[in-house]
Amino acid sequence: MTDWLGMLAAPRSPRPELKGRVLARALAPRRRWPLAAAAMITLAVGGGAWWAYRTIGTLTTERDGLAARVHALEDTVSTFIHGPATRLIQIAVSTGGRVGSVTIFADSVRHRWLVRCDGLAPNAKDQAYQLWFITDRGMATAAVMPMDQDKPMVMALEMPRGGGGGADERVLGAAMSIEPRAGSARPSGPMVFHRLL
Amino acid sequence: MTSPKRLSQEHQRSLEGRLKAGDERALGELYDLVAPWILGLAFRILQDEDEADEVVSDVFVQVWSHIDQHDRGRGPLVPWILSIARNRSLDALRRRRRWWRKSALLEQAHAVEGGDIAPAAPHEAAVPGWPLHREVHAALAALSEEQRRVVVLSYFGGLSHREIALRLHQPLGTVKTRLRTAHHKLTEGLRHLKDWVE
Repeated sequence: MTDWLGMLAAPRSPRPELKGRVLARALAPRRRWPLAAAAMITLAVGGGAWWAYRTIGTLTTERDGLAARVHALEDTVSTFIHGPATRLIQIAVSTGGRVGSVTIFADSVRHRWLVRCDGLAPNAKDQAYQLWFITDRGMATAAVMPMDQDKPMVMALEMPRGGGGGADERVLGAAMSIEPRAGSARPSGPMVFHRLL
Repeated sequence: MTSPKRLSQEHQRSLEGRLKAGDERALGELYDLVAPWILGLAFRILQDEDEADEVVSDVFVQVWSHIDQHDRGRGPLVPWILSIARNRSLDALRRRRRWWRKSALLEQAHAVEGGDIAPAAPHEAAVPGWPLHREVHAALAALSEEQRRVVVLSYFGGLSHREIALRLHQPLGTVKTRLRTAHHKLTEGLRHLKDWVE
């Protein structure tokens, strides 16, 4: 109740300019909030736009790169399939009680094979399929193919050209065996197929 | 003495509600109502026009930014504002005292603090709250001279009980008793005031 004692002092008329000054100072902090909020929103929108621009640019570059790779692969496949020097070899295989196939497009001019495997049973965890070239000098490894999923596999392989600067090895056929996951130097596991071309 | 014309409770609630809602025009209205009293109180304590202006500015900044802290249930709005004004003024006075102590001008301050309170001149009667001013003066006038003296030194001088005792050359217990009695009488005399008048 003694706070009313403030009324004891005689009132004084404020100088006319004081009201404007007082109100301007009192209201300034609250007025700054909308400005600060607007600045934050502008920054957020600007930052978001910059991030989106960067992300879109990165994704566009990645998409272009992938499209180029796909185009190159299409060319490669087309060359394999439609090339006049390409032989098509299809081999029926049976793995884990399943019937599948291995299709080989053999390009003797470019010394390349395109191999597609369908219906192969997935490997045990410590095993892999290993593809072999059968040459006039023996078996040479072509590829180690761990199959963890039940889906087709496609790969392009360079045919062996022989070592030591001599004449090319002649590829006589292809074989596939089940080997340890790291692969073997020579076939040691169960043979999936062995085919002379 | 004319009977004070009280601002309606509804108007008070409306003004406070608008302040709490951030209505800037309400702050302007509040200024028109209480600024003369805040300035008068600050000037009474500080005896310096520029410093009193600064206190008015500080008070409105605090009222505007902390209006949510005013609990209507604990008391009316105007005494709350006046208490802010008094505290701000005393803060300024203490800062100045420290400076004065350093510059050996304390005696000048004593001359200012010791003055008694007189009612404002009648030409100020147009100021909003004038009747209330007279009621508070009447309540103070009902005190004895000794009680009035300690109230003024405590309220406007911001002096502690011990400082008042030293100033008046009275025992500390006497000062405390006088202040306690005076506050009791003032509380009784001003109990009927609810809030702002115009």
